[in-house]
Amino acid sequence: MLKLYIEKDVSSKVLLKKVLKENNIDEEIIYNDYGKPYLKSNEIYFNISHKDNYTVLVTSKKEVGIDIEKITYNERILNKIANDEEKKLIKNAEDFTKLWVKKESYVKYLGMGLSYGLKNVDTLKLKKYQIKKYQDYYIAIYGDEVKEV
Amino acid sequence: MNEKVKSLISRTLEIPKDSLNDKTNLVKDLELESLDLVDLVVAFEEEFGVEILDKDIKNLQTVEDIVNYIESRNA
Repeated sequence: MLKLYIEKDVSSKVLLKKVLKENNIDEEIIYNDYGKPYLKSNEIYFNISHKDNYTVLVTSKKEVGIDIEKITYNERILNKIANDEEKKLIKNAEDFTKLWVKKESYVKYLGMGLSYGLKNVDTLKLKKYQIKKYQDYYIAIYGDEVKEV
Repeated sequence: MNEKVKSLISRTLEIPKDSLNDKTNLVKDLELESLDLVDLVVAFEEEFGVEILDKDIKNLQTVEDIVNYIESRNA
């Protein structure tokens, strides 16, 4: 089952330690070639993101990615990461931020991060994501356990 | 080239240029997150007229890495 943790002023390391303890897990963290962390046993999957003072962590029984971003707008980043169809749908900072976190959560789900190429992610085709507004931030979770939208 | 790269990082991220040296690590020292990193990538592409390939971004960890990369792409 998906579980989302949102913490303020807590580092990724400390939050992960707390969550693993909560799940009675005491094992080594390993990293794939792109730096995505996993438990050696894959007993649970997890992913972490942070922005400003916030750290978010999601746990799942299946592969998962998460991203948090403060509501913002950046035209040159939009041109770098969005395809023509996506660009037409971006009217304001909220739209831009939602596009960003959807793409980021997907490439983190894949375990490749920016190496995958954010422009290669067509958000109009993504199905297994959840998006949540939290204060001035958006959080997206993409994963095999997420209900299709 | 080193000075140009440092100036661009300083302008884009709004941090003092003299806080940067060749070994400054973008993620570990400057704590850059993905959005800032992509912003920086676009800034480098525009300033130096090179395309930074997605697959190469993870290898651009320090100021020195960026300088070497831009020089090799311009060669």
